[in-house]
Amino acid sequence: MPSAWRPPLTWFARGLPVVVALAVWEGIARSGLVNPRLFPRLAAIAEQLVVLVESQQIGLHLGASLTRVVVGFGLAAVVGVPLGILMSRVALFGRVVEPVFSFGYPIPRIALYPIAVFLFGIGHLSKVVLVALECLYPIAINTYYGVRGVNRLYVWSAQNMGATRAQVIFKVMAPAAAPYVFAGLRIALPIAFIITVLTEMVSSTEGLGWVILYSSASLVQARVFAGVAIVAAVGFVMDRLLARLRNRLIFWEKETVLVGIR
Amino acid sequence: MPKEALAFLAGLLLIWQVLASAGLLPGYLTSPIIIAREFAALAVGGDLFLHSAVSLYRSLAGLALGAVAGIAIGLLAGTSRSVAGFCEPLVSLTYPVPKVAFLPVLLVWFGISDTSKVALIALSCFYPCYIAALYGVRAVEPVWIWAAQNMGARPRRVFFKVILPAAAVHIFGGLRVSLALAFILMLASELIGSSNRLGLGFLVISADAGGRFDMMFAAILAIAILGYGADRVLLWGRRRLLAGYAVTEDSAHA
Repeated sequence: MPSAWRPPLTWFARGLPVVVALAVWEGIARSGLVNPRLFPRLAAIAEQLVVLVESQQIGLHLGASLTRVVVGFGLAAVVGVPLGILMSRVALFGRVVEPVFSFGYPIPRIALYPIAVFLFGIGHLSKVVLVALECLYPIAINTYYGVRGVNRLYVWSAQNMGATRAQVIFKVMAPAAAPYVFAGLRIALPIAFIITVLTEMVSSTEGLGWVILYSSASLVQARVFAGVAIVAAVGFVMDRLLARLRNRLIFWEKETVLVGIR
Repeated sequence: MPKEALAFLAGLLLIWQVLASAGLLPGYLTSPIIIAREFAALAVGGDLFLHSAVSLYRSLAGLALGAVAGIAIGLLAGTSRSVAGFCEPLVSLTYPVPKVAFLPVLLVWFGISDTSKVALIALSCFYPCYIAALYGVRAVEPVWIWAAQNMGARPRRVFFKVILPAAAVHIFGGLRVSLALAFILMLASELIGSSNRLGLGFLVISADAGGRFDMMFAAILAIAILGYGADRVLLWGRRRLLAGYAVTEDSAHA
């Protein structure tokens, strides 16, 4: 039966499954059933992690990847939120643009990457554009449904009490739609990471995706895992930061389901 | 699709065609008519279907594996507190990690074969399905379960007759996200390497390298049609399966 209420997990209870997973990894690596070069021990990965972190270039790669994620994601948010609002508030605009989003949603934009390289070069810009394009969809669609779903009674009662147009937008609609907007942002952030790492693997000479692919091509599997660990840590920290920001701004409503809102 | 949106898209295509015919666009933005001709040529030659079939096989096999595992474990976690307690820290730790980072690892383990692509897609599709199934079960109205129990339903019956249908709406939402992910990762893994020189992603990258931009756009068009078609099939399946349950047009997206 679904558990209605669960006691908050303690640090021990939360840490145990992670320890078990790591122990299983170490067990497989030590079992002798797999080639240790392909399936390195945790100690070897940690060693390579230290090498990577201490090397001079890690700042460069981390900086390049973060720039692409943050600028692309920021661009998508700056364009996507107003776009979503316009789609739901301006009837004609909504009828023209909303179908482009809802029908275009299942089409992978990553196929356009070779064209983006031609249009914007092989550096930051082509990657940022693709990240922004891919993040635009969840952000705009979620904003659209968030604004459209605002209870009309709230708007009417605000108008009844003499609120101006601006007050209705900023005092009523924005807070009511904000949880949806943040749900869209929370979906878009991992996508920004996926696209950044991906485009760096396809064509780049800097960034974490390139570090992973280069280590793999150099047959240093332990360093590949160390690179994956860095990507994982950065992705995890950014997701937590966004969740914390969301809970600060939208203190009146608990976060609900994350995926499936598209 | 409303008429206004169709007119908008047709207008964009027309502008593209006019600009291309006037020679105002760079060579890599081939005109829509040439792209359509190349698309037809590829379809008549049969190449298009071969590449599409290989790509579809990779994405759907990965989706199926990831979805079955994700939904099964998600349903288990939703009904059992200890399973949820074990999975929750692992999932919340690894969920924001871009799974595509594992592609080089999988390439070394399984080679540049279909296996590595399917494994990557399955890994990525697991998460949305797991989370959707878990929250789907959690969102079931306790009153419905109590009512069923009151009327003497055994746990098995409650699960299959009450919990599963109620969670299905969420599960389909997770499947839809997974489907889009499967297509992204299918393309991505084919852009990075395809052993048998087949797949739409491989067609895009090889046409790009050969300067055959008409062929590249034709492949992109095929990808768009496949992605759109697969999504429609999923939505149709949901309408059939959930006929009689409250699924509005809005919850098709939400």
